[in-house]
Amino acid sequence: MRRLVSAWVLPALMAFIGLGSHMANAADEYDYDLVHSSVSFKARHLDISWIHGRFNDVAGKFSIDRENPAKSTFELTIKADSIDTANKARDEHLRQPDYFDTKQFPTITFKSTSTKPIDGGYEVTGNFTMHGTTKKVTLVLKGGKEHEFKGVKRVAFSTELSLKRSDFGFDKNAIGPIGDEALIFIDCEGMRK
Amino acid sequence: MPDPLVYLQAGGTAAIVSAIFVLMMGRHRVLQPNHRWNAATCVSLGLGLVTGCVLLSLRPSWPPVSGLDRFLIVIIPSVLVIEFTAGVRSLSPRLVWGLRLCLAAVAPRVLLHDSVYLSGTESWTSGQSLFVLCTSSLLLACLWISLAHLHERTADMSIPLSLALAILGAGLSVMMAGYIKGGTAAILLASVLTATTIATRVTRNRQSPAISGVGVVGLFGVLFVGTYFGRLAIDGAIVLGSAPLLCWVTAWRTADRRNEWLPGLVRLALVAIPVIVVLVLMKRDFDRNIRPLLGDADCRIVLPGVCCFYSANRV
Repeated sequence: MRRLVSAWVLPALMAFIGLGSHMANAADEYDYDLVHSSVSFKARHLDISWIHGRFNDVAGKFSIDRENPAKSTFELTIKADSIDTANKARDEHLRQPDYFDTKQFPTITFKSTSTKPIDGGYEVTGNFTMHGTTKKVTLVLKGGKEHEFKGVKRVAFSTELSLKRSDFGFDKNAIGPIGDEALIFIDCEGMRK
Repeated sequence: MPDPLVYLQAGGTAAIVSAIFVLMMGRHRVLQPNHRWNAATCVSLGLGLVTGCVLLSLRPSWPPVSGLDRFLIVIIPSVLVIEFTAGVRSLSPRLVWGLRLCLAAVAPRVLLHDSVYLSGTESWTSGQSLFVLCTSSLLLACLWISLAHLHERTADMSIPLSLALAILGAGLSVMMAGYIKGGTAAILLASVLTATTIATRVTRNRQSPAISGVGVVGLFGVLFVGTYFGRLAIDGAIVLGSAPLLCWVTAWRTADRRNEWLPGLVRLALVAIPVIVVLVLMKRDFDRNIRPLLGDADCRIVLPGVCCFYSANRV
């Protein structure tokens, strides 16, 4: 029995553990670091100026496979209720059904479906869901530098995204002097799990 | 961009379409029995609403994804169909009331479908959800039964007009709380209810119970959507929702036939009081919270009286 364990089971177990650690090295799992990340946006007002805002409650995770980047995945979930334009009354107004309708559509999400390595980052295509409408979008993630701080490995990416609110079922009558197009800026830092 | 004139034109056209249909059908012999007239009234209301929605580009999405979509696509057509079937003579009144109560039971659940309130992400527990759904259904059923009973006693135009007044007040309150689309639907509903009621009065003495049925469900729907998806305060919604019950105060006057207009006018005045109080309070909140977001030039308010509109998109 002892011979059987030493001859087969132990090597198999060690091989499994080794394979596991190899897999962990191949695809690193990261959690979105809310403290060092931001999702902000700006939209035109009267076509002469910009209104800026941000979402304060964001979560996400991404897995980065350095050896096979196509296997890397990215997910982001934004709580629409956490919109913040530095004006409480306007934020309340934006949460209403004429705009984000946060009681019906509480989250804005992005989930990658394919990833392609490019110079200085990744080109990530995925499903972007906002206001109950899902569209395929492509993000150009710049960055990807790693840094180990206090024993925790970190990686960061930045991207910009231009969307038309009317493409996502927002009320066309409520667009008016606020431009239809909104620019979204995502700067996210991930902490390895 | 929403414009007060566009609202007036759309509401007015919807009202004219409903009124013309009623006036055309009013003299038709086939529709003389009350039960058939009830069905014709449903068609009139439906035609007016569709016209208004088309003119204001109020196009609910299919499948319905928001509370307002479900109100316009599921709840309003359901009550129109139920009131239409009430015109089928072979159907017993018990069955019709069974259908009405079924609608009252499911309406809150349908309106809140897939929202944060029922998906477990909001702070509502399942017990709280059940309490809100049951209480709302009960309130709707009580309002419906109560006004239908009063309608059987009087059947004059003051009851549907009171409902139209309460719906108009609810719509303006929802708008002033920041939810333009919700208020728009209410204004259209109030317009077609008023037009159908007045046109019916021109052609017949007795109002159709269908108008009151659609009015009750419409008032409930506007307030429910305005409260749970918009920012309409629940106390204001309760006051507006129960205002038509004040029609009961003058129920004793119906025996007196010497002056048939007086009880109706008193009913309207009684219902108008809480509606105006809520509107004044909403206007105060509007001036405090939303008006600073708007340029003065953009803010067009016509209160009291006919209507209150503002360009809500000035965020």
